[in-house]
Amino acid sequence: MNILVCVKQIIDPDKMEYSPITKTVKRNPQHLLNNPADLSALEFALRVKDTFPDSRVYTLSMGALECKDRIKEIVELGIDEAILLSDKRLAGSDASATSYALSCAIKSLGKFNLILCGEHSLDGETSIVPPQIAEYLGICHMTSIVDIKPKDQNTLEVVKKIENALVRFEIKLPVLLSVKKDSNSVRFPKLSFMIRALSYEPKILTLDNLKDIDVKRIGLEGSKTTVDEFEEEKIENFSCEIFEQGNFKEIECIVDAVLKYI
Amino acid sequence: MDYFLSEEQKVIKRLAKRISDEVISKVAGKYDKEGIFPRDILNLLAYTELTGVYIPKEYGGFGGGVMEMCLVVEELSRNCAGIAVSYAATALGAYPIMLYGTQEQKKKYLTKIAKGEAIAAFALTEADAGSDVSSIKTVAEKDGDFYILNGSKHWITNGGEADIYVVFAVTDKSKGPRGISAFIVEKGYEGFYFGKKEDKMGIRASSTTELVFENCKVPKENLLGREGTGFIIAMKTFDRTRPGVAAMAIGIAQGAYEHALKYAKERVQFGQPLSSFQAIQHMLADMYINIEAARALLYSTCRMIDSGAKDYTKESSACKVFASDVAMKVTIDAVQIMGGNGYVKDYPVEKMMRDAKVTQIFEGANQIQRNIIASEIVKEL
Repeated sequence: MNILVCVKQIIDPDKMEYSPITKTVKRNPQHLLNNPADLSALEFALRVKDTFPDSRVYTLSMGALECKDRIKEIVELGIDEAILLSDKRLAGSDASATSYALSCAIKSLGKFNLILCGEHSLDGETSIVPPQIAEYLGICHMTSIVDIKPKDQNTLEVVKKIENALVRFEIKLPVLLSVKKDSNSVRFPKLSFMIRALSYEPKILTLDNLKDIDVKRIGLEGSKTTVDEFEEEKIENFSCEIFEQGNFKEIECIVDAVLKYI
Repeated sequence: MDYFLSEEQKVIKRLAKRISDEVISKVAGKYDKEGIFPRDILNLLAYTELTGVYIPKEYGGFGGGVMEMCLVVEELSRNCAGIAVSYAATALGAYPIMLYGTQEQKKKYLTKIAKGEAIAAFALTEADAGSDVSSIKTVAEKDGDFYILNGSKHWITNGGEADIYVVFAVTDKSKGPRGISAFIVEKGYEGFYFGKKEDKMGIRASSTTELVFENCKVPKENLLGREGTGFIIAMKTFDRTRPGVAAMAIGIAQGAYEHALKYAKERVQFGQPLSSFQAIQHMLADMYINIEAARALLYSTCRMIDSGAKDYTKESSACKVFASDVAMKVTIDAVQIMGGNGYVKDYPVEKMMRDAKVTQIFEGANQIQRNIIASEIVKEL
């Protein structure tokens, strides 16, 4: 089974800085991290590979070459190959342009039985990229997935979360699934994978490597949305006290702290 | 301090640190209180392939040496020495096989240890033979294709939990220390039982038990080395594993220091944090100095051993003595800095103080280590 997982390197939401001049989020490479929901998707992909060891797990990321350090962390988890779509012409792509570029990259890479994405990225919060990729590829898709178990080489058992209910589905491949954050515990890396990651270089794709891509549909120019304004949410009267584990003797300490704010 | 570890060693340290901080720190208190053997953590160490860092590649290991083993032990000990010792005691059981085993023995046992499929233990100490190793009373008599073992071993780390035991027994009483031999004994062998589990002051997550041999039949091919080489096997093993005790001690000290430092910065008395008082500052500075000095001695010793030096007995003993004395001092001071909070079980430093004590005792009490060091340096004159 060929599995592709889309993994975005996002800016740590706690360290996000907005540039009012370019009207984009500043991308300081030191503040990059792999989007948590995408890592949950990757964990499901690796579990499928655990069941069917002949499977190959690929990851696809889009961003600047500075993403390579974070991509090494994905390699440490035991994927087969990481691909980075990196081209300056992609800068400023909105969710729709990103979906289009990623779908073109996927078409160029070959056929995949299963494509997994995180449901949303913490820096974008649009949740539209996975369904749009599926639409561009013309394959079935399903969102809000919290569990995936392979039944056989052509069928998955998946669980979708709807409000307060969990719905079980059996779904035929090929399919694209978007996975909710924290659906699973992402595994620890193995030492041998970490050693491999030390010298690993992801396969770099540029727009020139993609078949039939329309460059007018990507980047700032090809984006259908633009950010007009970015304003940090102000929370009135907000204060925070941190209680470290073991830093309190009685539960009353916390209760007292909470009562102060009521 | 930058110790210029190799990229691979940094990776090992990073992986062990993650497991220590993300998993061990969360269970250390409970496992200590309830005396739970850390089977789940050992399984995780096996999954992440840390169980084989010190075992040669040809037996399924990573191919590292004493340094790699120590890096893992140190990081695990930062949060729980009881869990770390369960890992380190397997190394203590594996080293005699690595150093003196036949190809068949190495292939059979080291591959399982490297993959984490087997836990090992080292059984030398007896009720009346602790520091005085040569007075062990467990006997092994040859009977056809077997050795028949009779006697008992005390305070055996991983006892009852381990699958493979390196057991020392007298094969020729008339020869004194030269009449001791080493055997590989598997759990489940006829006549091999487990006695009392010790209720210890510290390292309570680890299992420490008595081993009992009643006409235990050990196949003759399980003899390690030759008959009469047991004492040498034990001593050469300790030369490689005493740095592991030093690593454990440094990990404990580092953990206690980190907790004390954080507490000193947060705890306010007389309107200012404890860390602003010079009395506390000097204690913290001394902790830092001693830990780094112990670590520098440990890493130098590891590099000496791994680079193929022939004799490193005094260096190995020196790092064990120094680091364990540092661990005791640092953990006592950490409790002192944290006052009442340091003395209660809500914080981990009282456990660290209890754990530190054993590093001055096991794998040769520090008084015996000083005898060894003195004997070596006088001999060199």
